[in-house]
Amino acid sequence: VSRRSSAAPPSDRPGERRGAEMKKLYGKDAAKMLAMEAAMQLNFDRNCDLKQPKYWPVIPLKL
Amino acid sequence: MQCGWPLLGPLQWMRYVNKQVKVKAGKDEERRGWLLTVDPVSASLVLVNFGEEEGRASVQVVMGHAVEEVEVLQEADEETTERLRTSFLPPETRTLDP
Amino acid sequence: SIPSSSDAEQLPGEQHARSVLRESFLRCLLAMANKKIQFQMYERVKVEATFRASDIDVLNFQVSDLHTPIGVQKEALIRCQDVISFTFDA
Repeated sequence: VSRRSSAAPPSDRPGERRGAEMKKLYGKDAAKMLAMEAAMQLNFDRNCDLKQPKYWPVIPLKL
Repeated sequence: MQCGWPLLGPLQWMRYVNKQVKVKAGKDEERRGWLLTVDPVSASLVLVNFGEEEGRASVQVVMGHAVEEVEVLQEADEETTERLRTSFLPPETRTLDP
Repeated sequence: SIPSSSDAEQLPGEQHARSVLRESFLRCLLAMANKKIQFQMYERVKVEATFRASDIDVLNFQVSDLHTPIGVQKEALIRCQDVISFTFDA
């Protein structure tokens, strides 16, 4: 059963909601986790931009 | 632990850390190893098996969505815990003590 | 997907456990960079590739030199949903 905390602000500002969600998940470590994740995602995005990898296999094995 | 592995949550997953576990995943394939961590986002397990040589380890990651069953075989002794902690992650890794 | 326990009581203990587990997993992903990885996938597919990066939601792995049954794909994305497990030597 999944339900959003009523403390979470409405999602018109994605960046902030992400911060609020991280705070809820990681408490006092939220800033550190956010920083680690941001660095990793940036690396992934940059690699994909640079190398333009294609999905393999083209059709998912598991639908 | 039979099913619902991805739904257990951090406090339950934590109880498997530093234990030798047997994991059933996919087509009944069985994997064993010392549980280093569980990704709280994907519920994936990181299993470590140490080789004969000092400092060699093989790492197996089982995706959370594929997990059918996780069974604890034994607890790590102090030496194994230390090897797990220092095996392949950068040295600044925090200890997994609560 | 985020497990449903995240909406249980907001215990600092649970948050701490989550961040310890997550940090350790992210470090594991970082340690995998540029290593040869063997992927065990559904439909008995087994392939080898050089790991480069993962997105943080663990939905896609970006790899190089993927040895597929019909040749080498220089750059590829693997859907994590297709993967059962993967191994590498540390």
